[in-house]
Amino acid sequence: MPSISTFSFFAEASLPMAAPVLFKLGPVPVTNSMCVGLFVVALLILFAQLATRNIQSVPTGLQNFWEWIIESLGGVLESILGRELMKHTFAFFATIFIFILANNLLALIPGVGTVGWGGVDAHGHETLIPFLRGANADVTVTLSMAIAFFVMWIYWAFKFNGVGGFVHHIFGSKAKLPGVLGLLVALVFFFVGMIEVVSILVRPISLTFRLYGNIYGGEAMITTLKHMFGNWASLVLVPVYLFELLVAFVQSLVFCLLTAVFTALMCKHEEGHGEEPHH
Amino acid sequence: MNIFSLFLATAEQGTSEVVPASGPVEQIGNQLHQLGVNWPGLIAQFIVFFALYLLLKKYAFGPISEVLEKRRLEIETSLTNAEKIKKELAEAESTRKELIKKAQDQAALMISEAQKRAAEQGEKKLQEAVAEAESVIRKGRESIALDRVKMLAELRQEVIALVVDTTAKVTGKVLSIEDQNRLKEEAVKQVAA
Repeated sequence: MPSISTFSFFAEASLPMAAPVLFKLGPVPVTNSMCVGLFVVALLILFAQLATRNIQSVPTGLQNFWEWIIESLGGVLESILGRELMKHTFAFFATIFIFILANNLLALIPGVGTVGWGGVDAHGHETLIPFLRGANADVTVTLSMAIAFFVMWIYWAFKFNGVGGFVHHIFGSKAKLPGVLGLLVALVFFFVGMIEVVSILVRPISLTFRLYGNIYGGEAMITTLKHMFGNWASLVLVPVYLFELLVAFVQSLVFCLLTAVFTALMCKHEEGHGEEPHH
Repeated sequence: MNIFSLFLATAEQGTSEVVPASGPVEQIGNQLHQLGVNWPGLIAQFIVFFALYLLLKKYAFGPISEVLEKRRLEIETSLTNAEKIKKELAEAESTRKELIKKAQDQAALMISEAQKRAAEQGEKKLQEAVAEAESVIRKGRESIALDRVKMLAELRQEVIALVVDTTAKVTGKVLSIEDQNRLKEEAVKQVAA
């Protein structure tokens, strides 16, 4: 167990785990991470608008860059989802990837998460309350994306399997054995289905905390090191920022690919096998 | 204990208003509350994310995907056309070669026929020339023969006249018609001999 002094050090140096509320908009408490998130949304819409305002057959400039992102991402998603399913779901997974990546990269701009005002927590310890905070370092943001995925996942599951197919996919026996043996196997598959339901319900939670943990951890580490090393922090933080750059990309890809894999597991059908689900 | 657990522990230390949890759901609710999760914020963030998804889908991914699909189809069509053109070119090349071969065969046949015809023609002309030559020779010979007969006849007349004249001059008398006829007959016999 860490000592009391260790706790005290981290309490003074680290970020609060909950994003601080800047002001209230009706019943909605607007946090600094929410502001960054909204800024990223505006930035992405502006970028998309600029890239697609004058679409040419031979792309140039931003259109070229946008096409490169879409084609690269489309290639990766197609290998997981298959062509048909990818066509239906691409926009969602691309939005997830681009939104998370943009948020993660914006959070790495020096000052975001590290420049703010001093606050005092319940124990009287000084705490940094940054003006801006990476959106993915807020559970509300990561949880909202995970819930959005869960909603879309249910929609796609019913769309591609039907209600019967959905239930059969989770609880149905895949062995097709006759007699008592078949009954026993069906029972086993039913219990496996129950475990599968738990696994499905846990997915949004794991997605939420994986992303939040990684991004919050990175920001907290940067804040802590900044306090620890003072004037020498810049030297120490260079490799940390490079590492965080990698984390930013990897975590965007992990969230996007995991959601795609979960969708493929439920909705992807083997080519040439009609409506038979893919296992 | 890793650094993340330490941060978690720190945050737990820092929260003063933790509602005593009676069950696991309340516990999770409390922990989420400590992490700043609340319904209005969550719903607002969900709406923001979903709006971004719908906007990007309609205005960014849709048009670009259409362009990419269109370009893919164009490339596919171009490749198919290129393959078709290549095939047609190969067929045209094959047809060209076939035509050239046919033309060469025809030309060879024509040349062969022409040579054959020329040979036949030559032979015919030669035969005609030979026949004409023979005809000319024959006619020449006939002409010569006629000339000889004519010349001989004239010579005979001359000789007869000369014999009659000479005989008349030598004998110094006027020959009678009977003498002249007899001398002519004798001269004719002599010349004929």
